[in-house]
Formats: sequence, structure tokens, C-alpha cells
Amino acid sequence: MSATRDLIRALQRRIVAEDPLPPPPPAPVIPSPPHRVFPTPHSRSRYATRAAAHTTALVGIGHVGTRYATDVVLQFQAELAVAHQAVATVLPDGWAAAHGLLPLRSRVADHRQFLLRPDLGRRLDEASVDRLQRDARKGADVQPILADGLSAVACMGSGLALLEQFTAACSTRGLSVGTPVCAQFARVWLEDEVGSLVRARVAVILLGERPGLGTGDGLSAYVVHDPKIGKTDGDRNMMSNIHARGTPPAQAAARLALLAEAMLSQGTSGVGLDLTGLARELGDAARRGYRAGAERVRLVEVPR
Amino acid sequence: MQLTATIRGIAYRFASVKEVLAKANAPKSGDELAAVSARDPVERVAARAVLSRLTLQELRENPVVPYEDDELTRMVEDTLDEQAFRAVKDLTVGQFREWILETRTTGATLRSIAPGLTPEMAAATAKLMSNMDLMIAGSKCQVVVRANNTLGLPGRLSSRLQPNHPTDDIEGILLSAREGLSYGCGDAVLGVNPATDSAESTAEILRALDGLLVKNGVPTQSCVLSHVTVQMRALDLGCPMGLMFQSLSGSEKGNRAFGISLALMDEAWEKMKHLGATRGPNVMYFETGQGSALSSAAHHGADQVTLEARCYGFARRYRPFLVNTVVGFIGPEYLENGAQITRAALEDHFMGKLLGLPMGCDACFTYHSSMSQDELEALKVLLAAAGCTYLMSLPVGDDIMLNYQSTSFHDIPSVRALTGRRPAPEFEAWLADKGIWIGDGPGERFGDPEVVR
Repeated sequence: MSATRDLIRALQRRIVAEDPLPPPPPAPVIPSPPHRVFPTPHSRSRYATRAAAHTTALVGIGHVGTRYATDVVLQFQAELAVAHQAVATVLPDGWAAAHGLLPLRSRVADHRQFLLRPDLGRRLDEASVDRLQRDARKGADVQPILADGLSAVACMGSGLALLEQFTAACSTRGLSVGTPVCAQFARVWLEDEVGSLVRARVAVILLGERPGLGTGDGLSAYVVHDPKIGKTDGDRNMMSNIHARGTPPAQAAARLALLAEAMLSQGTSGVGLDLTGLARELGDAARRGYRAGAERVRLVEVPR
Repeated sequence: MQLTATIRGIAYRFASVKEVLAKANAPKSGDELAAVSARDPVERVAARAVLSRLTLQELRENPVVPYEDDELTRMVEDTLDEQAFRAVKDLTVGQFREWILETRTTGATLRSIAPGLTPEMAAATAKLMSNMDLMIAGSKCQVVVRANNTLGLPGRLSSRLQPNHPTDDIEGILLSAREGLSYGCGDAVLGVNPATDSAESTAEILRALDGLLVKNGVPTQSCVLSHVTVQMRALDLGCPMGLMFQSLSGSEKGNRAFGISLALMDEAWEKMKHLGATRGPNVMYFETGQGSALSSAAHHGADQVTLEARCYGFARRYRPFLVNTVVGFIGPEYLENGAQITRAALEDHFMGKLLGLPMGCDACFTYHSSMSQDELEALKVLLAAAGCTYLMSLPVGDDIMLNYQSTSFHDIPSVRALTGRRPAPEFEAWLADKGIWIGDGPGERFGDPEVVR
């Protein structure tokens, strides 16, 4: 016990006698900043330049200590902010009607519930059911549905153009098209109820897709034959990454119309649909679940 | 069996062990979606109080999916180590929690009782633990495995290098892989999620990864995470497969939705033991994640933590080299925010380790969940402190194929430095030889992908 007391006393003497942290050395001359590598061409590493031809992954970006250079941090934060903003944006009331689309809404009450209750996003609310039954054309070959999905930004961005181009592409192929509608707080399977209420032979939902880093403006399209509640993912054909840097809307519209036509002639969709004869026209989209690559762009520019 | 507790004079009654387990769970949006969670915080504590008095024997007798209805329940029950079970069967869950946390209960002791535990016991214990309890208990467990290198030794933190590419461009995959190796990542596996789920494509990527490892003499293993049936066909094509992968679910019905069964996995494991390219003895790789059973309506009214533990009961049959929970991947309808994702990661790590698995974690979020990047970085440090076997690693944490945010190449050396952990020993020797990572810090060639040819 007395040994412990002695030890504590000895330690406490040092408290008075010594500075617990020795004074720092004089400020050094700070060397010029570390090499920045992303992503302007004049500052890219050789490795990053070579990689850019093969991948959008951020490689060859260097490091400070074990962490990112400031430019990389800002690029990352900008990409993250773009993605989060896309998810958080709500389709404004009146937007659909202002663009000549029949407005529909799922059973979801608000944005948070939309994220937490996918089951409610797959069904129409009562007013929408009434509106569809009253105002929409019945028995068309193809029922197009524009929807917010996980990015209202994409819906309001290239969504309208995709819808118009898709409608035109269907008409060119001699397919009749239902009243264009726009659904708020919508999940993919909402197309089943919409399509069955208007007795369409094929339903197509064009909706904002879950954003990736820096890509809040992508749309996905899901096409289903004989739409009705109870269809599963295996019954659908899909196309994703529809935007200027991925599959351009015009190209996607033409391919989607081709898919719809194939479904009408084969009387099926999804895993049962044979696309071998269409591989040339469909290109990469003939593969189920295909995702086109997207170019990575620098988001932050600060004038010198 | 007593399924009642009273708090401030109000009696809470529960109809079944399954209901008690569900309502004792920490708040999770997925349990709300399944409509199995406690209706308020007080009922949650009442359920925990009831759970704390149940014995492990009672939990064994009341699996959340009945023996008659589910092959996973039958397999766990029929293969349980009776001697190990006898050592703990009369403890209540509350006593079992305390016994685990006792200083004199060592990792070796925990390892000796692991074969006698059912998944429901691990899940029940996790429900009575705080995050720090989960970390202390998880860090005690020792699970050491070996393929071409050794994972899970004390003081080590490994990483899966995940060089995914949206079109499986081989050059693109290798460019990401070389960058990751130059940051000291990849000692758990070089694992690619393929965009195309075909045997030819799987074999092609495996050959490319193997070529990179052989050319540079890297002591690790490769894996392409296609469906197990696709990998079995790829093995027939004669490719160098380091680990065989499959996603698992916590019920027979959930596994059917994944296109697998016990019989199929038994067959796959046998095939891999004969045709795989690693030294072994651990050659399998599994991924899990809370919510996967509910997403295929295969949850049988049970909560997602208990179902997750049941994935581990399935996984341990195959003595895997790697098991990781992909904790924030399936979206906010299962784990809404940073608090829920953090909690789930620590629960899964503890439950897997307690059941004897080399648990890693894909600490991640999708861009529609409300977890911040700062919260995700904090979780990586918590996991390392809890003794997590490995984390993921990607360029800037960004998966350009699956579109979600995980651990970055830069995070792995950062977390190692913060927590004083080192790579797997064989890999560490390779890193030192290349000048990438020497002792506790970066070497001359750290972060220079040209060091890998």
C-alpha cells in the first residue's frame, strides 16, 4: 500500500515539475501541395488516364497520408449530394397535369413512407382508380406510365422526352397507345394495377431509378405483358441507365417499342420472351437486366 | 414457459417465443414492414425481460420456423453438438449474456460451446445487448480460417477487394484490382460481382484475377460472385476458382427464392473441395443481410435479426473462409438510417462470430437510405474495434455496378492505422516486399498501382 502511495507521490511531483507536452518544434516550411490527380486532363496521373478508357471507377487518384486529396473529397461530396437530392425531390403537385398527363398517386402518404413502405407504392389510391376508370382510354396495345420512382429529378428531366419518343415509336410500329399518365410515389409494380384497370395488353412504366454516385438523372423502364396484380419480376423486361451519358432516351424509346411489339406477337414477357431474333436491333438491351455504362464527369469547377 | 412481464403495473403478455424474440428486437424498419415489432418502447423492454428468463433449452425447443416446415431448422436441430449444448442449456438468455461478458470467459471457451448453439440462441442474446456489449462479446470470439492465407488471427483486419465493373470489362476490373492491392487491400479475397451471370463470363474473370495474383505472387484468393450453379458449371470449364460464393437466406423458402437448397449447397461444396484452386481447408464464401427473407415473403412472421442468425446456422455447415453481412444494401425499408445500419452490423458480427463463423461486414448504404458518410466511416472503426474479420474495399467506396457506397481502398489502411491492426500475415509479408505497407504504416510505393504489374 505504501509503495502505491509512493508511486502516486512521485507521479504528482512530476505534475508540478514538468510540462505534460513538450513545446512543439518551430513551424516548418510547408512544401508545395501534393500532386492532384482527379480529374482534369492536365493533372491526371498516367494510371488514371489509362483507366478512364476502361472504367468509371475513381482509380489512380493518389492519397494524402492514407486519405483522399481535397479535390477528391469535393468531387465525392458533390456526387453524393446530387444522388441524395435526386432521392429527396418530390414531384410537385400539378406537374403532371401541367404537362398534359393524367395525374395518379399511389397509396403512399408522404416521402418517408414512400421509402419505408414499398408495398403501398405498388397500389393506386382510390381517387386514382376512379380517375383512371373515368378518364383513360381502355383496351390499348400499350399503356405508358411516367413515374417518379426514386428520382423525381429524372422523371421531370428526361422522363417527358422518353415518354413522347416512346409513344411516337409505338405509333410508328402501328401499336395503339393509352392515355399518358404520371404517377407519384410509384414503385415498379404499380404498372400492374394501372395496366389492368385500363385493360392494356402491355404496360410500360418509365421511372426514376435509384441514384448512383453523381447520377441522379437516370430512368429505368419495366415492360410487362398482360398486366395484372400478382405479376413478379420474372414477368418483366427492364432497361436501366436511360440518360444522355448511358442509353440516350431516343434509343431507349425505340428499343422499348420493339420489346412491346415482341410481347404482343409472342403473347408473353420476362423470362418467357424470346429476344434472339431481335438481338441486332436491341443491341446490349437484348440481355435481361443489362446496364449501360455511364461516363464520370467532373462536378466541381471553381474559377481561379 | 413464462411469457409475461409487468412494467409499472402494466402486464405485457406474449403468445409465443417467436413474438417475444421479434418484439425484443431493437427498432428496425424491416420489422415494422413485417408488422412484427413492439408497438412501443416499453413493450420492447417487457419482451426483453421475458426473453431474459427463457432458457437456451426453451429456445432450442421453439425455433421460429417449425421443424416440420423447414429444412434449415431440421439441419440445425439434427446436427447440434449435444455435449456443447448440455453445457449451456439450463442458462437463461440473461445469464448466458452475462456469462459471455465475464472476463474469465475466454474466446477458447466460447469456441467450445459454439457447436451447441442454435441461431435463435445467438439472436436472443444479441437482443439483450447494447452496441458496446456486442463489440466486447464479438471481439472475444476467435475464428481463424485458412485458404491461400490465414484470416482472423488476433490483431488483424483483412479486406475483400471488390473491383466490380458494369460491363465486366476485364481491363477495367484489373485496373481497380491493381489500385486496391497498392493500398494494402485484398487479403480476404479479390471478389467480383459479375454483371453477366454466365459460366463463361465467370471463368473468364476468374482466369484474369488468377493471372494477376500469379504474376505478382500475391498470397490471396479470387472469387466471382455469380449464382452457385453458374460457378459449378464454371468449375467444369476448368477455371482457377479460389472461393465458391453464394447468398444465403434464413429459411428454406427464402433459399428457394435464391435458387438454392441444402442438397444443392452440399453438392456445390463437394465439387469445390475437389476442383477448387485453394489449399483450403476453408473454401466457401457466403453473403447475408437482414431483410432478405422478408423481401421474398419467406420470413414466417419472424424478425429479421433472428432470420439473419439462421443464415449463419446454414453457413457454418460448410466451414466457410468468408461470411459477411451486406448490412445496408437492400434499402431503408429494412434498415432506415445510420443508427439501424450500425446496430445491425454489430449484431450480425457478434451473432456470426458466436456461432463460429469468420464474420466480415460490408458496411454500406444505398443512396436512398438516410445514413451519412460520416456515420458510415464511424461504423468501419466500430467494426474493426469489435474484431471484425474483414471489410470490403472499392475505389472511393463507390460500387459503379451495384450503385451503393461501401468501404474504400483508402479506408482500409486508415482503419488499420487507427485501431493498430495489420493485414493477414502472408499478405503482410507480400506488402512489405513490394514496399506498400511496412509494419504499421505506408511504404514508399503505397497507393502507386504501378507497383502491381
